[in-house]
Amino acid sequence: MQKKFESVLMPVATKLGNNVVLRSLRDGFLIITPLIIVTSIFLLIGNFPIPGWEKFWTGVLGPHWMEWFSSVSNSVFSFTGILSTIGIGYAYGKNRGLEAIHAAIVALVSFLILTPTSFNVGKTAVSAVQTMYVGPNGIFLGIFIAIFSVEIYRFVVRRHWTIKMPDGVPPAVSQSFDALIPSAFVILTFFLVRVLFSLTSFETAYNFIYTMLQAPLKHVGNSLPSVVLYNFLASLLWCFGINGPTITNSVWSPIFFVLTQDNLKAFQNHLPLPHIYTQPFIDIFTTYGGGGSTLSLLIVMFAVCKSKRIRELGKLAILPGIFGINEPIIFGLPVVLNPIIAIPFITVPVLNTLISGIVMTLGWVPRTNGVLLPWTTPPIISGWLATGSWTASVLQLFELILGILIYYPFVKMLDKQYLGEEAAAMKKELDIDFSQV
Amino acid sequence: MKAIIILDQMQAGLGGKERADTPLGGQRVAMGSADTTEKALAKNAGKLLGTFYCGTAYYTDNRELVQRKFTKMAEQMGADVVLIGPTYDYPEFAQMACELAAAFQTQTTIPAIAAIAEEKNADLIAQYKDQLTIVKAPKKGGTGLSDAVDHLAEGAALLAAGKDISEFKANYCY
Repeated sequence: MQKKFESVLMPVATKLGNNVVLRSLRDGFLIITPLIIVTSIFLLIGNFPIPGWEKFWTGVLGPHWMEWFSSVSNSVFSFTGILSTIGIGYAYGKNRGLEAIHAAIVALVSFLILTPTSFNVGKTAVSAVQTMYVGPNGIFLGIFIAIFSVEIYRFVVRRHWTIKMPDGVPPAVSQSFDALIPSAFVILTFFLVRVLFSLTSFETAYNFIYTMLQAPLKHVGNSLPSVVLYNFLASLLWCFGINGPTITNSVWSPIFFVLTQDNLKAFQNHLPLPHIYTQPFIDIFTTYGGGGSTLSLLIVMFAVCKSKRIRELGKLAILPGIFGINEPIIFGLPVVLNPIIAIPFITVPVLNTLISGIVMTLGWVPRTNGVLLPWTTPPIISGWLATGSWTASVLQLFELILGILIYYPFVKMLDKQYLGEEAAAMKKELDIDFSQV
Repeated sequence: MKAIIILDQMQAGLGGKERADTPLGGQRVAMGSADTTEKALAKNAGKLLGTFYCGTAYYTDNRELVQRKFTKMAEQMGADVVLIGPTYDYPEFAQMACELAAAFQTQTTIPAIAAIAEEKNADLIAQYKDQLTIVKAPKKGGTGLSDAVDHLAEGAALLAAGKDISEFKANYCY
């Protein structure tokens, strides 16, 4: 059975994990993730979920204090499209063996070529870039531009269509000339793309990609079945020793990224939060203590088990587990290649996803504000910070307990097996005495 | 085939990186990830005598002591073969695995086999691959773990039986 699963899963997982485009998307988003986490904290401070918070600080710091904080969060949230383009251009260039910084700049310039730079205010034409083009709605366009611009650049570089400088020319000058013809090809291509789109009813590449791709993909990704499938596959792959989220994020991360940014923008502007299935939903309301929701597993190990090995590991791993670190459990229990633990390891996150999704759809718990909390934020606190409501903490607590109940019979089964082995070993003595040698 | 498995503190189920100072020890059962390898050993008519463990930092500070204790104890327990890992791409455990395998090779008649990922360990593998039997294993979270564990047990069985392993090495080792 296990071998059969492996023979089907392995080739797909390997292909997805090694696909250079998907890998670059994941790496590119990771480049800007630290910026989002840091600026999210500024956004959270400006909108802390305590009644009277805003009024209190206005009294202390004056009426402009909110602007101080929002200027920081705006620096990232209003420019996620353009930042993603740079990050993905950099990652794709690096993965394709190019000078990464050249690839990032080429992607940025290509993005700017396709970005409308004037609009009308009343009857007056204003020369400016609207943040709607460079923010969350521009992310998918940014992905395409980053990949295509770097691919065109690489095409020319690989054919050595470059200007060769004589020996003795400083490397910086020589590299600059090397980039000249490849850059010219990229710029000419995107110039033509811009002209072509201006001749269509879409008018801009932005309108075309947003209408034809970003909106439909967002719709498909922003659904309970999609998120359940995401967590099912992520957990299933871990059971075979494969880092599941690395594979599933290759497919889902652009969608979750866009949905999260939409909620962040809405939260910042005090508008209704548009989406349920954001990255914080995945991180905060589907697993507790890491993949497989292993905090529930740890609590069972710590509180109920009698086997020396399981109890010891439970004791050692519970503190890191509260902060989302579950490496000691994944490899030390182990979870990988362990058919007994595989069942709850897959079931618990899937059930949590279903319950959280339904509860938020019914409006019993508010939607996530899109703030990306540091991944080590413990449950209960994370739920409250991500939604501003104590009901979210109650939901987390409920799911944590449900997880304990689901893990219990399986962990007990393992405990019984380990106890039997330990009892047999006890006939000689379980611990090996190295002082004898 | 009577086997001993050697693991670091993480794989033995004794905590994470913060427990790297765990002193050497052992139990007469399969600890942590040795449980999976024990099942693979059973398919090759193998029996596990016990698991030896040692924190990676403790090993670095007490190399000779650990090597001496592990080799002597394995001899005393009558092991036919020693399996180390899989170490995944943890470089400290991979270093420990290669050095311990080399110690078994030079100080005892018990053959040793290790499973190591190439990632983060390319230089180490290049240094030891001719001298030792090192099975190809995936990095942490990589694909092919199940096969690597099977190959580790299969290689251990061949070594314990004193059979020619050149074909096995060509197929599954570095």
